[in-house]
Amino acid sequence: MLEFLLALLTTATVGALLWPLLARRLDRHDRLQAELAIYRDQLAELERERAAGSLPAAEAAAARTEIERRMLAAGDAAAASRAATRSDAWHKWLPPALSLFVPLLALGLYLQTGRPGLPAAPFADRGADRGAPHAAPGQQFDVAGLLKSARERLKENPDDPEALAALGEGLTLEAGGTVTGPAVDALRRALKARPDDVGTLYYLGLHEAQSGDSRAAIARWRELEAKSPPDAPWLGMLRAEIARVAKAAGIEVPPAAQPTPQSTMPTPSREQQEAMAQLPPEQRQQAIRTMVEGLAARLADAPQDRAGWLRLANAWKVLGENANAADAYGRADTLAPVDARILADWAEAHVRQLAPGAVPSPQAVAVLERLEKAEPRNALALFYLGVAAEAAGNKPAALQRWKTLLALLPADAPIRGMLEERIKAAGG
Amino acid sequence: MRRLLFILPLLTLALMAGFFAWSLTSGRDPASIGSVMVGRPAPKLDLPALRPGEAPLTDADLRTGKPVIVNFFASWCTPCLAEHPLFTRLAEREGATIIGIAWKNKRDDALAWLKKLGDPFKLAGLDLDARTGLDWGLSGVPETYLIDGNGIVRRHYRGPITERDLTETILPFLKGTVK
Repeated sequence: MLEFLLALLTTATVGALLWPLLARRLDRHDRLQAELAIYRDQLAELERERAAGSLPAAEAAAARTEIERRMLAAGDAAAASRAATRSDAWHKWLPPALSLFVPLLALGLYLQTGRPGLPAAPFADRGADRGAPHAAPGQQFDVAGLLKSARERLKENPDDPEALAALGEGLTLEAGGTVTGPAVDALRRALKARPDDVGTLYYLGLHEAQSGDSRAAIARWRELEAKSPPDAPWLGMLRAEIARVAKAAGIEVPPAAQPTPQSTMPTPSREQQEAMAQLPPEQRQQAIRTMVEGLAARLADAPQDRAGWLRLANAWKVLGENANAADAYGRADTLAPVDARILADWAEAHVRQLAPGAVPSPQAVAVLERLEKAEPRNALALFYLGVAAEAAGNKPAALQRWKTLLALLPADAPIRGMLEERIKAAGG
Repeated sequence: MRRLLFILPLLTLALMAGFFAWSLTSGRDPASIGSVMVGRPAPKLDLPALRPGEAPLTDADLRTGKPVIVNFFASWCTPCLAEHPLFTRLAEREGATIIGIAWKNKRDDALAWLKKLGDPFKLAGLDLDARTGLDWGLSGVPETYLIDGNGIVRRHYRGPITERDLTETILPFLKGTVK
């Protein structure tokens, strides 16, 4: 709406500028014609008066000469002014050209870099949800009620860890997401009784991040991440927070270590691992590759080892051999269907083989569809199944997935622009 | 001559565009207006205590032989909320001496704010009429000064302190590695 008003305003301004510029040029031509018409009228009247005899012939001749002299002068003046204008023609064309060029340039720049679909972020909303994951937009979290019940329970039992954790959370939410001093005290006491409480660990990490110790915060959260079951509902939010804090502090976070399932295949011993760490990078890479190939050869003899296939798939994926990785995931899957987390890795191995803009293969689509079923909000599945649907001519299905994905993305996600373009191109 | 007059607006525009382009690309921080306080003795400190029953703040509090952090804050100031956990940590974990001065803030409001967030200040003063802030060259809150043991201002931060300030200047200063 605002964009439309601004465009309207620009059009009006350009119009107001162009109108007199174009009108004046017509004017100059018309003025000569008008002047000449007056002089012709005067000549005709002179002729009529002379014919009627009301004007002596000598006076009529003098008047006629005078009028003709003026006609010549008017013509000369017009020619001179035209010549002057022509001599600097840019004078004539530059203003209208500029007044068109500037708004067109602005429009071009906007189409290039602008994101008209980006939702507005009113100042009052910013920071309101900072660090307060429970206060989802549109969902009023009853902070006062939480604090009241926590304090009442603490009156009965001052060491109730659940009430202490609730008090810490409530005080934090009350302060708009800042973990306050009293909140930290309550959380620390709660942690003593329950050292594994997820909420307490999260808020204590948040306090560390806010008090300028991002490393401690990330270490605490990584530990929490490692201890969480792979399908824990808070993992997504926790990983997003780790990424946010790490980015703000300029710390690089290695991807989470994947717990390897049990396998009968031998794993490298501690000595072997240490020896490998000593090697120069190329040799190390070569050594790893040799080991992975050895594992693949052994699995060919014992193809019933599902955990072994999964380990091999993971190894191929780390080495960037995505086709081999996808194949190994498939072998594991035929022995017993894999869970959502492995489906996500498998789908990733598939789509990593794609050239930019390419359509996923039928095998990839099959994995992605299973992934989407297990995790309807999985970004990878939403995006690539959209690509496949569009390629198959099913634009409504593609649009539906992409729009869902767009709604799930954070406002500053770098792929937003690309996704919006694809949605537009598909006619959405 | 008249031609020059017509070029003048265009020239002004070009000059301004050049300045803006330079400002945007040179990495200059437009919020940084410098400080004349750095390297000089700290301005006069003569304030009533914020917390009831405490002795008023005087210049002697700045010349104890130990480094001191002076922080101007107010309960109505949002950036003060953002930097507050950093002071909590400095007081708790680094044992820093922090003097908090409530600036243009009613005593009850400031006390309630500290009660809610925790009070990291060893000494706290009240500058209700902002006269001390004027002496200290304050442009608003929050602002923070690092003062060495001899009462010389070593650093002046305008705006909230950040993790970066903490690791790069404040912690080294407290350890005595930055003079």
